[in-house]
Amino acid sequence: MRRMLRLFVPLTIVGATLVTGMIAAPSEPFSGTMEIRSITLQQAASMVQQTAVVVSLIAVWILAAIALTLMSGREVRASSTEVRASALHCFTLGLVAVTSFVLTAIVFSYLVPFLIGIPLLFALAVFAVITKIYGMIAVFHAVGTLVAGARTRNQLDSRKWLRGDLAMSVLGVLILGALRLIPVAGPIVWGLASVFGIGSALATKFGRREPWFLRVAQAF
Amino acid sequence: MKTDSCLRYLEDPDANAGHLAECEECRALFGDTELPTKPIDVPQLPLATWEGASHRSWPLVLAGFVVALAAAAVLCLIAGMTPLRVVESSFRSVQSMRAFVFTSAAALRAASMGAQIAFFGAFIVVNAVLFALLRRSPRGIDA
Repeated sequence: MRRMLRLFVPLTIVGATLVTGMIAAPSEPFSGTMEIRSITLQQAASMVQQTAVVVSLIAVWILAAIALTLMSGREVRASSTEVRASALHCFTLGLVAVTSFVLTAIVFSYLVPFLIGIPLLFALAVFAVITKIYGMIAVFHAVGTLVAGARTRNQLDSRKWLRGDLAMSVLGVLILGALRLIPVAGPIVWGLASVFGIGSALATKFGRREPWFLRVAQAF
Repeated sequence: MKTDSCLRYLEDPDANAGHLAECEECRALFGDTELPTKPIDVPQLPLATWEGASHRSWPLVLAGFVVALAAAAVLCLIAGMTPLRVVESSFRSVQSMRAFVFTSAAALRAASMGAQIAFFGAFIVVNAVLFALLRRSPRGIDA
């Protein structure tokens, strides 16, 4: 399974490059005169702008991953382990959490005329953004570890650069970032990674592995 | 514990270690259990997640960041975009989400009482499911 995944990701990147090239290329071979029928110049410019925005965001994500992994590497690792150990739970939790965020935001917006809605909406937005950023970085770490993590001690000892939380996080950003550049599948993959990330962040309470709620018997 | 010798052994097992050879009852209670043990081959054990985790490979990290930054700069240059425009474009999805939430809230206010009750019912159900899912302990290390 892991070996298949290690093969699958580079093949996906190569496939994505081919698909992007096929989409971006003119439909007919170049015959001396510049005639682009399937894509207008404006669309091409828009495509380049979108790619520029995506690549710039990837650079920002790398910075965020470096900062968070340096600050709380243990927590990121715990959440990353959770993504790999119970992926289905993280995905379910992420889906429910995203739905809950949206419904709660609508309810708080409903309360905006009563003023209490504004601080609640602000707090929810801050919490959602923090959850998303932390969760994505945990997913980056998980992807990096799945693809390039050491399997044995000998392998780990023989590696000079490709080891440690920081390298795994950055590698994960680069892999998911490359997948993000695929025209149709990229945003879907990125969205799924967000759902997994939000789920893992909430499942591990941001890597602290503490219960969110005390049981009644524990509270008294 | 029948004899004084047994009591002396209880008080100071090291000084009265010879007592175990004499007393069958104490030997059964405190003697070596002689459980079968296997020697552990540490290198063959599965790799723990924390092993090698603190290593910081800066060349790889910096190379990745520089490559991404250079690619972004080149693409922005080709597209004729300023950094401010990139920031504005990246916030487009946030703005569309905000517009969706406010439009939905306005529609909810204008909706019938039945629709509002149904929405709040769905809100409670989703949050109850979230609450139930959050009660599960993380598996992580134990998996």
